Amino acid sequence: MTATLEERPAAEANVGGAAMIDRAEGWRRRGPLLPALIFTIIVTQIPFILTLYYSLQSWNLVRPGSQEFVWFSNYGDVFADSQFRTVALNTVIMTLGSVLIAVVLGLLLALLLNRQFVGRGVVRTLLITPFLITPVAAALLWKTVLLDPTLGLINFVLSPFGLSGTEWISQYPLASVMAALIWQWTPFMMLLLLAGLQSMPTDQLEAARVDGASAWSTFRELTLPHLRRFIELGVVLGTIYLVNIFDQVYMMTQGGPGVASANLPFYIYQRAFLGFDIGQSAAMGVVVVILTLIAANFALRLIFKSFSGEQEAA
Amino acid sequence: MAEVVFDRASRIYTPGAKPAVDSLDLTIADGELVVLVGPSGSGKSTALRMLAGLEPIDAGSVRIDGRDVVDVPSKDRDIAMVFQNYALYPSKTVAENMAFPLKMRGMEKEERAQRVRQAADMLGLTEYLDRKPKALSGGQRQRVAMGRAIVREPQVFLMDEPLSNLDAKMRVQTRAQIAEMQNRLEVSTVYVTHDQVEAMTMGDKVAVLANGQLQQYATPPELYDRPINAFVAGFIGSPAMNLLDLPRSSSGVTLGGVEIPLPRDVADAAGSRDKLTVGIRPEDWVLESTDADAGSVVKAVVDVVEELGSESYLYAHLAEDTSTSIVVRGPGRVQVRFGDPIAVRPNPDALHVFDAETGQRLP
Repeated sequence: MTATLEERPAAEANVGGAAMIDRAEGWRRRGPLLPALIFTIIVTQIPFILTLYYSLQSWNLVRPGSQEFVWFSNYGDVFADSQFRTVALNTVIMTLGSVLIAVVLGLLLALLLNRQFVGRGVVRTLLITPFLITPVAAALLWKTVLLDPTLGLINFVLSPFGLSGTEWISQYPLASVMAALIWQWTPFMMLLLLAGLQSMPTDQLEAARVDGASAWSTFRELTLPHLRRFIELGVVLGTIYLVNIFDQVYMMTQGGPGVASANLPFYIYQRAFLGFDIGQSAAMGVVVVILTLIAANFALRLIFKSFSGEQEAA
Repeated sequence: MAEVVFDRASRIYTPGAKPAVDSLDLTIADGELVVLVGPSGSGKSTALRMLAGLEPIDAGSVRIDGRDVVDVPSKDRDIAMVFQNYALYPSKTVAENMAFPLKMRGMEKEERAQRVRQAADMLGLTEYLDRKPKALSGGQRQRVAMGRAIVREPQVFLMDEPLSNLDAKMRVQTRAQIAEMQNRLEVSTVYVTHDQVEAMTMGDKVAVLANGQLQQYATPPELYDRPINAFVAGFIGSPAMNLLDLPRSSSGVTLGGVEIPLPRDVADAAGSRDKLTVGIRPEDWVLESTDADAGSVVKAVVDVVEELGSESYLYAHLAEDTSTSIVVRGPGRVQVRFGDPIAVRPNPDALHVFDAETGQRLP
């Protein structure tokens, strides 16, 4: 009897002790992650909050002392700015156009590489190389070595057909930038789709052969559905990356002529660091972040759906 | 409906190496179900794939209904195949899967739908026609794969271990269904399996392969009663036949100090060989009293007893030679435990005798 009475408080103390040990253990385990978390907050969230604050100010660096609080008038200006609308459309064309063309070209190359032939390893390495080149170097390569009107290789190759003399970059600025982007992103799509092709079960292809399917029907009825989620993944990843592209625009065209080849990141950069209009560019930044969040949300939901729900079995 | 002939057909993966299928000669009569059976690497699947057109025929020929198909692509051979993992198309519904071969042959939509309905009816798949393969159980998937083969109404069915992914109960059930369906449709069928029970129960005829070579091609009872060599003897039957290398004595062979007389024709065929491989099936031992004379029974010590209810199998080693193990079939309720001594005598009329060197049956 006495023994049990004595034991009870001891047991309760133990329970309390265990909870405290748990908490201490939790800090010990997760504590080391804290610096990384704080660092991430400092470099991403604080600038974003500051951007929000700036976007409510009228503040031009050229006119010192002009800073004042103007509520949402910067946002009104953004939507009234016809150049902003042109640039937004450019961004959509540049991003989706480059991604879709890169996917189609990547698919064709992946189908070729999925066959057995002599020197396949060498060809594959060569085809991947564009993806490994620094974007700035790639842009410079396209601007000078390939597209230069007098020294460029493309005009040199076209000259026997009497087609030389095209000023590619000034006549087709958006297409020129897209060409460089597609050149760099096709290998990525190719690798992704090649992985998809190689994960295709061979017995399905054999069954199709026995069932009498032609090469084209096999591709359309079996290979393409199998590749669907790989294509979706490529489109989403490519879009997320290319919507923020800056290097190629900056190096090749500076967004010009006018804003003909500018995309949103470049245009915001221009307004902030060449036009010195901090409030205006901060407001554009916020608008772009919101639009990107909406688009990315849909895109991510799409790939999560197709990667978790679809098939695998059978 | 067609006769299938393998005429010295070979498949050589790497030149100079041993062929995967070596000069296979096999005739499958119209409407027959023939099982190709053998251990892994015996070439049975390769032989089937040669017939399907999924592997080239490097030498010899294969004929379907008298037509040499060596240079004919798969789709023009008028065959249908059921794959081990079913190879259903995951992006298509059950109905689309079954209609696929018909669609590829340009059949009208209504006729396609009608044939699919008929086959689905026969296989009990009607309520699953709108499902995707991933929403089906293993047995249902297997039936869809069968359905995809049936709708074609081909000249030959090819089946590559179609039951190996099913559980034991399902396998027995489906085994009977396939045999019944094949009888009804009367389509020549080549069936590949590594399971000798499937081979024995399903085949009109069974071809046993090993190392790319045909060992024996016969009906199941003939395979069981007169295996042509020691390999077939050991492969067919479960538990496997006891194959013992025994020294010759004056009138027969000696096992565990016991003289086992051989029939006259076997003894004649054995000639002057001083060693023979003697095969005794587990059911061909007679259990004797352990008190019997040492010279008339073989004494052994039990290692394991498997009781199956209707019968039991005693795994034992010889008392005189502990490295020699035997399997003996006993009655259902056997009063023997691990370590107990037993005495057995082989039934002299049921001996299978093979040359100890070549493994060939004598006589």
